[in-house]
Amino acid sequence: MSEQRTLLCDTAQAVFAEAATAGLAPIEAAGFAQLLIAESNGGFGGDWGDVFAVLRIAGAKVPHLPVGELIIGGEISQPIGAFIRVAQAAGAMDAALAMSIDYTNTRQQFGKPLSKFQAVQQVLAVFATEAAAVNVAGAAAAAALDRANGDVDAALFEIAAAKLRTNQAIGQATAIAHQVHGAIGFTKDYDLHKLTGPLLNWRSDYGNDTHWAAVLGGIAAKLGGAGLWAEITRRG
Amino acid sequence: MQQSFSIFPFNPPGDSAALRADVRAFLSLHQAKLGVPNCWVVADAEFSRALGAAGFLGMVLPQSAGGHDRHPLERYIVIEELLAAGAPVGAHWIADRQTAPLILRYGSEEAKARYLPPICRGELYTCIGLSEPGAGSDLAAVRSTARLTTEGWRLSGQKIWTSGAHISHVMLALMRSEEGSERGAGLSQFLIPMDAPGVTIRPIIDMAGEHHFNEVFFDDVLLPEWALVGTRGAGWAQATAELALERSGPERYLSSHVLMTALIDFAGSEPEPRLRALIGELTAELWTLRQMSLSTAAKLAAGEDPMVEASMVKDLGNSFEQALPQRVQALVDCPSSRDDDVARLMRALLIAAPSFSLRGGTREIIRGIIARGLGLR
Repeated sequence: MSEQRTLLCDTAQAVFAEAATAGLAPIEAAGFAQLLIAESNGGFGGDWGDVFAVLRIAGAKVPHLPVGELIIGGEISQPIGAFIRVAQAAGAMDAALAMSIDYTNTRQQFGKPLSKFQAVQQVLAVFATEAAAVNVAGAAAAAALDRANGDVDAALFEIAAAKLRTNQAIGQATAIAHQVHGAIGFTKDYDLHKLTGPLLNWRSDYGNDTHWAAVLGGIAAKLGGAGLWAEITRRG
Repeated sequence: MQQSFSIFPFNPPGDSAALRADVRAFLSLHQAKLGVPNCWVVADAEFSRALGAAGFLGMVLPQSAGGHDRHPLERYIVIEELLAAGAPVGAHWIADRQTAPLILRYGSEEAKARYLPPICRGELYTCIGLSEPGAGSDLAAVRSTARLTTEGWRLSGQKIWTSGAHISHVMLALMRSEEGSERGAGLSQFLIPMDAPGVTIRPIIDMAGEHHFNEVFFDDVLLPEWALVGTRGAGWAQATAELALERSGPERYLSSHVLMTALIDFAGSEPEPRLRALIGELTAELWTLRQMSLSTAAKLAAGEDPMVEASMVKDLGNSFEQALPQRVQALVDCPSSRDDDVARLMRALLIAAPSFSLRGGTREIIRGIIARGLGLR
């Protein structure tokens, strides 16, 4: 990660921690709405990789706040909205994974931590892999947007693939997060639902599975079998 | 903030598009051999020699060893093109993927001189001697022995599930070289010529009727001292490092790719909604897996250990390539009388697929490695 992005992420961590209770105001005050605006126009001059990194943190720390909508501004197109949700989901999933690891390492049953049971280890490995898929897909979609200079149509393939893959992961990841937490994770007092609740809603936002599968399936069918492989490798 | 997967940019040196075009031009000359399901276990020595002659084997080896001094990510481009096309790369696959790099790194000068040039020409094939009757997933239970005598090393014991032993010239085997040692200690790696006196190979026919794996017996096999690979007693560390090469490649998600290609061609440009949706889902999963695989290859090429990332790609990739024929079967009507590409490939892969999450480390072992990376064990 570049030094500039590391600084940006450090700032986001601090500001979003405050925003967790204070709402959008500190995020607006910190200037995140200027993230994508060019430096020559008084903005931060960030790229889509920066947006992904910031929204990942937002998904973990303030999943209830419309940070992506604030950064993009104005009317949000469906593909850009989908990208926002992918980025938030990447962060929320890693955060829910961290909570699950922490909980199972701490909670004891049958005289040992839950994490020492192979059945628990195996499902958490699946969870981590799904979270990884979302993080990699989101970062690749951001890279595609950067290559396309923000031209959404030119990055539609990657955005469609990333949102569809994220939607698939949300079902499995949230289910495992709750399963390993047992009853405590299903309570209002415990913070897990602050991540899993938004995650479950994000699957519907800006295109559910059927929508993006139709978009991507349509593109692939027109390319043909060998054409799809050529397109995937051409796009990087 | 904690991250489930470290992302490395895939930036091979040179003109990647030109290299990719070279591979596709090569493949177009061998069209009749392509489209093979699970193609990286299907041997075709003629094809391997043609690949060698074209400079696509031993790419990362130095020219002094018969190689081509190319970057590992250039090799990645070549192998993903071969796999996507369903090219019969099984004969040389293990030698090119892991045995040659291991010999280069740890092998004696004699071993390098004798084995590396023919591997690069696509003429010398190798197999991996790890599993034994009592050592499957529990690899550290290896009991086959190697004893240093005044004449050289004497090997006794048995390997099993050895893929391609019957077409290989050399086995790279993990043996217990230190008497009385236990588990991962006291193991060493050896290069064993398959025609050495005392080596017996017996076929094991798999449920598809194919001959891929074998039992291999060693009855007091005598090897020169230079057959030892690397440090005596350090075989466990060397073998597990080798697994990073074995588990991180694109073959862990592309074994069924020819069926996906056939499915899309069968569907035409305006498929009905459910077929279109399936193609969309498969495309999203394939694209994501490829991004994960590219990043893992880049991490490995950067000299870092991608054990957890490689395990994630392998687990997810195996599940994808394993489910693919079943997902096609559930949607596309393929009675046993149907014999177009989709039906033929689907049937072949339905039978082959159970092996995908067994070979190279079972799903359960792989998830255990991921769990260790997460700090659960």
